[in-house]
Amino acid sequence: MALQLKKLTYTKTFRILRSNLWKDHPVACGVLGMCLTLGVSNKVANAIAIGIGFTFVLVVTAATISALRNLIPKRARVIIYMIIISSFVIIVDRVLKAFFPALSEALGPYIGLIITSCILMGRLEEFSMKNNVWYSMLDALSSGLAFGYTLFLLSVIREFLGFGTILDVKVTPTGWTNWVVIGMAPGAFFVLSIYLWITRTLAKVDPMKTGQLHG
Amino acid sequence: MRDAMKMILFVVILGTLLSAVILVVNSYTAPRIAKNGELTIKRNVLEAQGIRYGQEDLEQVFDQNIQVVRKAEKTYYVLKNGDVAFEFDGNGLWGPIHGVISLQRDLQTIKRIMIIHQEETAGLGGRLAERSYLGSFDAKKFSPTIEIVNRRKAEKDNEVDGISGATMTSKAFERLINGQVGEYVAAYGGG
Repeated sequence: MALQLKKLTYTKTFRILRSNLWKDHPVACGVLGMCLTLGVSNKVANAIAIGIGFTFVLVVTAATISALRNLIPKRARVIIYMIIISSFVIIVDRVLKAFFPALSEALGPYIGLIITSCILMGRLEEFSMKNNVWYSMLDALSSGLAFGYTLFLLSVIREFLGFGTILDVKVTPTGWTNWVVIGMAPGAFFVLSIYLWITRTLAKVDPMKTGQLHG
Repeated sequence: MRDAMKMILFVVILGTLLSAVILVVNSYTAPRIAKNGELTIKRNVLEAQGIRYGQEDLEQVFDQNIQVVRKAEKTYYVLKNGDVAFEFDGNGLWGPIHGVISLQRDLQTIKRIMIIHQEETAGLGGRLAERSYLGSFDAKKFSPTIEIVNRRKAEKDNEVDGISGATMTSKAFERLINGQVGEYVAAYGGG
């Protein structure tokens, strides 16, 4: 019995991780969180900061929602998500302002935009309201990391091509011409669409068939 | 009815608890945030006055070189030779612009302009904050005002070239800098 239960746990954990990190990736498959993905993938430092801040907010809100899931009045749940998410986002914002002022200035309005991210609302509604705290935190952590690693990969490509640097350290040879457009807004669309094409092909995801085509 | 009451009660209690948490975080971070703001001003004043400093001795260098003068509720950062720097604040095209400007002793000639914060269009108006553009203000004179010219090349010593594709930002900045410098210089008792 204990062994079976353990095996079951393993399966669910594994399924959550595989689905969030690869098969049902929030960015690559769900095309969620676009605002942040396009906005902060220009520099590696920004991507790391948002990745960590986002994951933190997602994990603590998922844990809170999941712990309160039987108490939360169903009709008011979206308002309650918003209250909890915005409180934690304010905390992240204050901590960044106090301890990493330069980063906070570079990220500008994007920290506040974590509140509106569809990934957060999606995971809370879809998962945390129906599962216990442990699985909700696992789900939140893996979704946050999935979002974070995508941001990181995109930002490495964009900072390298657009600014000729990685983490503000020059890595390109002298004589290299920056592809300025890649660092600016249009470049985000080019790089993201190529990234989606590659990852969807590798993960064998076809949103036209599975009906996952949503904005 | 009971459901509605329960719902409201739940939201109120949750809201109160989370507000309490935010208050605690705020009281812990507020002094540091204020300190960061102060350091940013000091750093920009030193840059505007052209004084070299290191990350560690910033405050020391500031105290040694800059005399803080308050007149008519305005703050001036005065160098020993009489060069004056002060903060300016106002509206750009899309959002507030905040920075520090330093003037030579004659209170007319610009030494240097620093932009601390702006929200203009990235790549167009946003280039306002780039050193290569701000450099074109150096040694220009408020005689009686600075003019940002758009359709021809700047010739006189109170004319500065505008930014192509950012006429509105240029106009807003011209209004802002003339207004603020006029106000500050008048209050300082010169000009």
